[in-house]
Amino acid sequence: MKANLTCETCERELIAYADGLLHSAVARVMDQHLEGCARCRATLEFHRAVARRIATLPAIEVPAGLEERVIRAMTAPDRARARWTRFGAGALALSFAGTIGGLVFWPSLAKQWGLPDPASALVRALDTGVEGMIAVPKRIAVDLTFYEPIARQFLRSMEALATIPRAAFVSLRSPEAQATGLVLLTLGVALYLILRPSRRQEGGIGHACLAL
Amino acid sequence: MAIDEREVIRRCLAKDERAYRELVRAYQAPVTNLAWRITGSADDAAEVAQETFIRVLRSLASYDPERPFRSWIFKIASNLSLDAIRRRKRRPVSFEDLSDEDGPTIEPADTGPGPDEGMRLEWAAERFEALVIELPEHYRAILHLRYREEMPYEEIAETMGIPLGTVKVRLHRAHEFLRRRLNARGTTP
Repeated sequence: MKANLTCETCERELIAYADGLLHSAVARVMDQHLEGCARCRATLEFHRAVARRIATLPAIEVPAGLEERVIRAMTAPDRARARWTRFGAGALALSFAGTIGGLVFWPSLAKQWGLPDPASALVRALDTGVEGMIAVPKRIAVDLTFYEPIARQFLRSMEALATIPRAAFVSLRSPEAQATGLVLLTLGVALYLILRPSRRQEGGIGHACLAL
Repeated sequence: MAIDEREVIRRCLAKDERAYRELVRAYQAPVTNLAWRITGSADDAAEVAQETFIRVLRSLASYDPERPFRSWIFKIASNLSLDAIRRRKRRPVSFEDLSDEDGPTIEPADTGPGPDEGMRLEWAAERFEALVIELPEHYRAILHLRYREEMPYEEIAETMGIPLGTVKVRLHRAHEFLRRRLNARGTTP
């Protein structure tokens, strides 16, 4: 009995059947068909023989030294890093020795070659450095005193903007309003750039404006 | 595999050289054989195996531990094998791009061996192997993964980056290809 299955359908499922991958209900129907169909049985035997043959095909030997080559490739960056670390440590030791040597021999060499006294040069360098370090925050503080009231004014004006009716913002959508706004902004920036240099000069226009 | 994969992977990520060795030893034979089956060249297989392990170890951080490690490593090996073929043939090849149209087609008239065609002739292993080499590379790969590595269809699909249905179709067509060739020679595997 071939059950309710055509040979064509059976053949489509034969590989999965041979692999034991079919659902048990489907496999049972296949069993029934195979019982009564010599052709499908032969095809099934063929699929099984192919599977056996493929599984037992000769294997290739693992390439000699594969493991070592992989390990070498994987550890090569670490070795390069170790080499650079050694090189860096050497350079550091050399520069340290150079600094100590310089500190020890420089005064006598400076005297011999008529160069300025290293001690006073060092003090001068320190003085210049400290002065520079002080000058930067000083300038920032001065600038802050200039910008701080402007920032306050700006914040106040922003708060004031909140009181402007929504219609004003809507009107800004027109190209004319946008162009006007752009012109005003440009003028404001230009005015600021003109006034900025004279903000510290007594009687200067910038100073007068700030006094307001 | 006899190794505790998760543990070995964890140690590999910590750059433990002994773990690198364990991983290579566990997979060097299957990876080399897969590459050999796909490329058909021992030299290419050796090169592919080495490159596969280097890539695997360097990109181990991107491996998703929820997926089978074997599929991941075989996927890399398969892609590198196809690259090797591409270099040799100088034409693009990829498992995803390979159309089933380029393989042997199933002819409805060919109903396979009849009941009288028993095991008349036992082919020598080399002759069967020569026949397998005639298969397109994606069919060779699928036969190897299924019958040599005993991979389930789902894992083959993941390894080759193709849908499950395509795995079934390609496996069927690989069998058909062999059957037609063997029938033409009046023999069986």
